[in-house]
Amino acid sequence: MEFLLEPFTYSYMVKAIWVSALVGATCAFLSSYLMLKGWSLMGDALAHAIIPGVALAYLLGLPYAAGAFFAGILAALSMNIVKRKTRLREDTVIGLVFTTFFAIGLLLVSINPTSVNIQGIILGNILAISNEDALQVVIISFICLLVLVLKWRDLMAVFFDENHARALGLSVQPLQILFFTLLSAATVAALQTVGACLVIAMVVTPGATAYILTDRFNRLIVIAVLLGSITSAVGAYTSFFLNANPGGLIVTLQTLLFIAAFFFAPRHGLWAKHRATKMILKGNSHG
Amino acid sequence: MSKNSIQLENISVTYPNGHHALTGVTASIEAGSICGLVGVNGAGKSTLFKAIMGFVKPSTGRVTISGMAVKQALKQNLVCYVPQTEEVDWNFPVLVEDVVMMGRYGHMGFLRHPSKADHEAVTAALERTNMTEFRKRQIGELSGGQKKRVFVARALAQGGQIILLDEPFTGIDIKTEDALIILFRSLAAEGRLILVSTHNLGSVPSFCDDVMLINRTLLAHGPVETVFTQENLVKAFGGMLRHHQLVGADLHDDEDKRSITVLSDDERPLVFYGETGGQKITKHGNKE
Amino acid sequence: MDSLLAFFTEPLAHEFMQRALLMSVIIASVCSIFSCFLVLKGWSLMGDAVSHAVLPGLALAFVAGIPLAIGAFIAGLFCALATGYLKENSRVKEDAVMGIVFSGMFALGLVLITKIETDVHLLHVLFGNILGITQRDLIEAGIIALLCAVIMLVKRKDLMLYCFDPVHAGTIGLPVRLLHFGLLILLALTIVSALKAAGIILVVAMLIAPGAIGFLLARSFDHMLAIALAASLFSCISGTILSYHFDTATAPLIVVIQAFLFLLALLGTSLGTATRTIIKA
Repeated sequence: MEFLLEPFTYSYMVKAIWVSALVGATCAFLSSYLMLKGWSLMGDALAHAIIPGVALAYLLGLPYAAGAFFAGILAALSMNIVKRKTRLREDTVIGLVFTTFFAIGLLLVSINPTSVNIQGIILGNILAISNEDALQVVIISFICLLVLVLKWRDLMAVFFDENHARALGLSVQPLQILFFTLLSAATVAALQTVGACLVIAMVVTPGATAYILTDRFNRLIVIAVLLGSITSAVGAYTSFFLNANPGGLIVTLQTLLFIAAFFFAPRHGLWAKHRATKMILKGNSHG
Repeated sequence: MSKNSIQLENISVTYPNGHHALTGVTASIEAGSICGLVGVNGAGKSTLFKAIMGFVKPSTGRVTISGMAVKQALKQNLVCYVPQTEEVDWNFPVLVEDVVMMGRYGHMGFLRHPSKADHEAVTAALERTNMTEFRKRQIGELSGGQKKRVFVARALAQGGQIILLDEPFTGIDIKTEDALIILFRSLAAEGRLILVSTHNLGSVPSFCDDVMLINRTLLAHGPVETVFTQENLVKAFGGMLRHHQLVGADLHDDEDKRSITVLSDDERPLVFYGETGGQKITKHGNKE
Repeated sequence: MDSLLAFFTEPLAHEFMQRALLMSVIIASVCSIFSCFLVLKGWSLMGDAVSHAVLPGLALAFVAGIPLAIGAFIAGLFCALATGYLKENSRVKEDAVMGIVFSGMFALGLVLITKIETDVHLLHVLFGNILGITQRDLIEAGIIALLCAVIMLVKRKDLMLYCFDPVHAGTIGLPVRLLHFGLLILLALTIVSALKAAGIILVVAMLIAPGAIGFLLARSFDHMLAIALAASLFSCISGTILSYHFDTATAPLIVVIQAFLFLLALLGTSLGTATRTIIKA
């Protein structure tokens, strides 16, 4: 028992666990929407595209969130321009822009290698997060969660049926912009816990797992948020014993839960579906 | 030339998720005619096409093409498919002649190096469809009717005897449609078999010789005059059809029992005129 | 004039630079050819996914004592197949499934590499290390790349037809499933060959940018291939030489040069259409 409680005697561990859980919850909330729309690549792209901003912010001693935001907006603008000017597919445009931004970030770091911990940005660094960075993460997460709790129904209406939402008198485009602002903010926060490469899991996997488990959107959100926060907390906690990268552990856990849901979910799981198909076929041969 | 035909024997298709797309379809389609495959979205039109092209394996029954199994017929380049306009990526960097040349790939060797015969076939197909002057255009630079004709030219270059047309008239104007109908008619007259999947009811009487009405199963099959009736269509389309009836005072000043029934699913409406709205079909558009 | 010549010849005095340049020519060729298919098929996310997913393969191959390239190839292919399987059997959208699978595999790889003592240097795998290429790496990558390039060039018409119109490919009796899985296998092999030089993340850029440049400028597929190849070779060679002189990381510089070429192509085509409309008016 004492052994299991040991992580809690270190303040850096306690901080890592609850900050992770908070970020996990925020990202999971957003994942409920994102994975329904086929925009998963956006999450991944944003996470990579903000790296030059983060690198510059650390080089100049600015808050890292500010640099990240700036780079994110620049990337979104570039994607928009390239998309309007060419007939390239959307996925090509996104891939092109985010890899370029990422390369610019690495180039900046390679010119001045000492001042930026690039491995921390790419792979996450929650166990060694500074108090200032932690504060930024907490503020971002709280604002996101607050907005989401207030506006989740409006966003649902917009994501489900834009025209219907418009008919209801909702302002669709501002709500979409709001969603992407929240997504980039959550991405900036998640950069600290799991790193750029794994942000996509945080903003896709919990929502997808919940989607297999339930048919109702409000339950989907609750399940996703629970999954996101618990896996993040547990991942950070176990990294103390396993001495492995906490981001890797968090996402591995999330993926394992997805696989479990895929096979064993009550109605939409593979097992349940196989049983149902067998029943239909049996019914046919009798009738 | 041996007779081209499609024989469907008790075809049922059930997808792995348990969805029964088609049940017990038996029909025989002969060469030299244009046969319309008519039904609502989800009625199984595309599933039947897939079965004829060998992309789905029927859970029961057998498809025979000109006396051969599907696989063998495909090997002999007998079957050609003309896709819907929306299915094609028009930004793809290929020229008109490249697309038509793709029809010849089945005739070429391992490296797909075109021979003299292949070039001749492409030129002939382009001429037949009046596309010669556009052969160096990138496919996105064409108009709606020209886009359609490129893929018909590809089918011609392929030399296939069985041509499957998927919604050939969506997104083109009626004049272009009439020109295409003339082309398809002459292709059928040369002994090809043309099967058209459509939910555009208005073009069926002027275009097709036979019609197959399907909704998860074959509801009716036969010459347009006898099968393409109001009762059968209402059966096939159920409530999906827009149905306007002009009757009595709206139509006549005198006591006349005849009425006009307009059935439409999209662009071109189908008009019935008669006592109970069923006997006589008013043809539209091009009368040969 | 002499100094300009020296700009190119001086780096070649070093053996590691000779190897780096040869390597950059190899990966430029194979990646640019594949990128044409990738861009036309709309598989950018697939490229991203497969390249991230090779990570656990590297770790496990080290444990099993087999060549790392084989482990990476199997892991990459597994990611593509698992995505297909999960997509077929659940109602989650394909892009979400792909994101879940590759991030899960990347995470597992990360845990394995930090846990097990391997000689896989994480930063080199992530960002590439073209200046540290050994003779053996060069031969390995060269063989894989040559194999892929020959297959893709010989069978380019079939692969192109499969990308353009898979239904037609099926009706004329082409083996559509074989082409599909063949393309996936080629993707995994291409990534494996470029991994040591470009790293997991930037290999995606090498797989998208040249094809996108070709797409902008070409009207037929063979032109697209030629333009992509030329753009890729130019960026890889100039990037390697410039990085030597300016002492920066090599792979990111190559990617930035590619992006610059793309920008030029974009400006060129928009200027072209602008002048055409002016002349017409």
